[in-house]
Amino acid sequence: MELTGTHTLPASAQKIWDMLMTPDILAKVTPGISRLELENEGVYKAVAEVKIGPVSGKFEGKAMVENPVAPESFTLKVLQNSKIGNVAADIHMKLKAINDSETELSFEGKADMSGLLARTGNRVMSGVANTLTKQFFKNFEDELAAQ
Amino acid sequence: MSNKFIGKSVKRVEDKRFITGRGRYTDDIVLPGMTYAYILRSPYAHARIKSIDTSAAEAMEGVVTIMTGEEVGHYGVPCGWQVNFKNGDTMKEPPHPLLVKDKVRHVGDAVAMVVAESRELAQDAAEAIMIDYEVLPAVIDASKAVEEGAPLVHDDVPNNICFDWEIGNPKEEVDAALASASHITTLEFVNQRLAPNAMEPRSYIGQYDNVYDKYTLYTSTQNPHLIRLLMCAFVLGLPEHKVRVVGPDVGGGFGSKIYHYTEEALVTLASKKIGRPVKWTETRSEAFLTDAHGRDHVTKAEMGFDADGKIVGLRIKTFANLGAYLSTFSTAVPTYLHGTLLQGLYTTPKIHLDMTCVFTNTTAVDAYRGAGRPEATYLLERLLDLSALEMGVDPTELRLKNFIPAFDGVTQPGYQTNVALQYDSGNYHGVLQRGLEMLGYEDFRKAQAEAAKTNKLLGVGFSTYIEACGIAPSAVVGSLGARAGLYEVGQVRVQPTGKVSVFTGAHSHGQGHETTFAQVVADRLGIPMEDVDIIHGDSDTVAFGMGTYGSRSLAVGGSAIVKSLDKIIEKGAKIAAHKLECSVDDIEFIDGKFNVKGTDKSLGFGDIALTAYVPHVYPANLEPGLDFSSFYDPTNFTYPFGCHIAVVEVDKETGTTKIKRFIAVDDVGNVINPMIVDGQIHGGLAQGIGQALFEGVEYDENGQIINASYMDYTMPRADDFPMFELDRQVTPCPHNPLGVKGAGEAGCIGSTPAVTNAVIDALWSAGHKVKDIRMPLTSERVWRAMQS
Repeated sequence: MELTGTHTLPASAQKIWDMLMTPDILAKVTPGISRLELENEGVYKAVAEVKIGPVSGKFEGKAMVENPVAPESFTLKVLQNSKIGNVAADIHMKLKAINDSETELSFEGKADMSGLLARTGNRVMSGVANTLTKQFFKNFEDELAAQ
Repeated sequence: MSNKFIGKSVKRVEDKRFITGRGRYTDDIVLPGMTYAYILRSPYAHARIKSIDTSAAEAMEGVVTIMTGEEVGHYGVPCGWQVNFKNGDTMKEPPHPLLVKDKVRHVGDAVAMVVAESRELAQDAAEAIMIDYEVLPAVIDASKAVEEGAPLVHDDVPNNICFDWEIGNPKEEVDAALASASHITTLEFVNQRLAPNAMEPRSYIGQYDNVYDKYTLYTSTQNPHLIRLLMCAFVLGLPEHKVRVVGPDVGGGFGSKIYHYTEEALVTLASKKIGRPVKWTETRSEAFLTDAHGRDHVTKAEMGFDADGKIVGLRIKTFANLGAYLSTFSTAVPTYLHGTLLQGLYTTPKIHLDMTCVFTNTTAVDAYRGAGRPEATYLLERLLDLSALEMGVDPTELRLKNFIPAFDGVTQPGYQTNVALQYDSGNYHGVLQRGLEMLGYEDFRKAQAEAAKTNKLLGVGFSTYIEACGIAPSAVVGSLGARAGLYEVGQVRVQPTGKVSVFTGAHSHGQGHETTFAQVVADRLGIPMEDVDIIHGDSDTVAFGMGTYGSRSLAVGGSAIVKSLDKIIEKGAKIAAHKLECSVDDIEFIDGKFNVKGTDKSLGFGDIALTAYVPHVYPANLEPGLDFSSFYDPTNFTYPFGCHIAVVEVDKETGTTKIKRFIAVDDVGNVINPMIVDGQIHGGLAQGIGQALFEGVEYDENGQIINASYMDYTMPRADDFPMFELDRQVTPCPHNPLGVKGAGEAGCIGSTPAVTNAVIDALWSAGHKVKDIRMPLTSERVWRAMQS
């Protein structure tokens, strides 16, 4: 499954970078993620609950921040396991400052699924990805407004 | 002999239990102390297993035992047919372990089996097994798997090639014939992968009795004796006389239940280990991943014609996808069941097939209704209709011009093909002409021309097919690499009161043997059908058998029963002659009575039966009893054939195809029960048309099946079809006593190309000169074809 998204957020690149690097905030804005715990430098333990079309499940695994170039880019690697299948995602995140109070946040990447998730969810995956992307940016905006 | 039942549409005697819910399938069987197995399967298509930790699972509630590859990985299931490389080397035959310990090779590969007090507890515990996988790149497409640098499914099989193979005339001769052709039609296409989808999922129970040291395996199979032979001699090394295999009522097979599956051996081993019965029943989702799939050929075919429209040569290159492991008959399907049918109904003088059989990270592929013959038929019949379009000639005239002339196989010899087989008897012009009459061909073409001006295009597609059933004789199939004989066993036991128990090695999983076979027996013995019981499926009651597949039951299994009936009647005549004090030559057996010719003296079948078991007045030197068993090994395959015609309407705006009419004129030799044959044709047509329009297993590039459920895999439904228009021609089989050819697969073999041809014809009628659309012909694909 291809993952792409672009959105302009009303905050500075540094501010957005800091939020993305704060586990509690990242957990709050990322749809489905219910908990992120820092295990080591750049490695989080992640718990997610996701419902995709006909299948739903609780995922446990790791999220890793690799090659961080503050406040410009990083690669987010996610390895999640669940009873309904596993997800391995590789997402390249980019922050581009438009001005001091506006930043374009974009990402592109790929998620490979296996197990029941791949077998029965695939049909609706791209739709789900779009919905989750929209939700992510909306949550981010809400979080910015709240701060 | 009497003539009360044969040829009549007798209602099926087995249906009482099926339609009242009293059928007894393996999963219905509950044994005292039974445990339940769940198999943990790989979520990856290709991955190395770095570690397996079962400790948490073992401690869970209700868990009886957990088995892994460490314990049973040295046992594996065999392939039943050896095919050699072109250079004579033996095919690559990598092991197919019961449970994998080193690396998994397809999604669904079995890694561990948990046995627990309930299915749910077993599944819960399986989820607690920790497996550390190192995911490897996977290869899915057979034509790509042979490329340098492709991932290796088995580390010791170079280029993933199981074997390469060829059949037909020398390739140079075919090349020369094509070089001389005035027109060559080239078609590159995929015969897609299908999931068999039997209504009853696979289910097995292993039961070990330590008092008698005896194993019983209840299995949803098409051939219990073969499973016993394979499991005892080639997998577990168990003494055959201590193993009973029972195939009770079985809810459909379509080939997928021929094979010896790993789970059959696993439940057997586990029941011995724990001393309790072990049941395993797959989920529908598992069925998509583990029941052997069908088809999956990637082909380039070229057919050459001379200026008069006569076929001069046929050259084919095909890659057949065998999946990750060799299933029991997987190697025979693309070769001896496919390459040998490429003569079709045509006099094609030069034919060459170059076949490469390949391992990939996918579910094993084996026989599926038709097995090889649908692939051959699709190839030929697509080429015929497409050639007609390309050359601007009529597809039916092109066929009539190239058909093999009629021959009865009795006064005229059989037809020797260029691809090894010798056809038994045929009248190919007859079925096409009858089909055209039913269609009203001239009127159709007028209607089509009118429709071409509208948004609802009309198309007609033809398929004149031949198939080979009742694969035999044993000596021939043995010389071709079969690791089994292909005869059948039939035992007729006349009880003292004249009632008859028939034991057959054929196995019914929907075919209606209990009716058809009883019709034959009742007529041959001149007794009521109620006096005949057909018993099958239990290795302890039936002497031996090869089971049911390849439309062989009546042609081979029925003939074995007839051989025993002949022995019964012959012995009965001796007993009658003695009692009636005449010569045995003066006895005639008519309508269940042994008569002295030209007199009114006679004895009934029941009297003779009783005398045989109470032999007070009895011929000297004749054994008492009336019970005979026979092995029948046919002298040849049988060759049913027919003409299928599809009329479709294609919506120009949406690409949606609707079957308007479907005509099938089949010649399956003599017919015992027309209703059952019609039912077989109907079911076959639904599956064959299903392949053309609806079905197909789809993998993503990582080897995940992305439509492994009924939400995503489209099965044909009754309302997708019009009422089929059936007719029959009868050209008896000259070499078996019933003159029957077999009808189980015909519908599925003939129908698929007729539908694709019809859609292509509809598109050409509106000027879209499309050569091929990949099956299934979804609305999207047809629409895109019209836009290109």
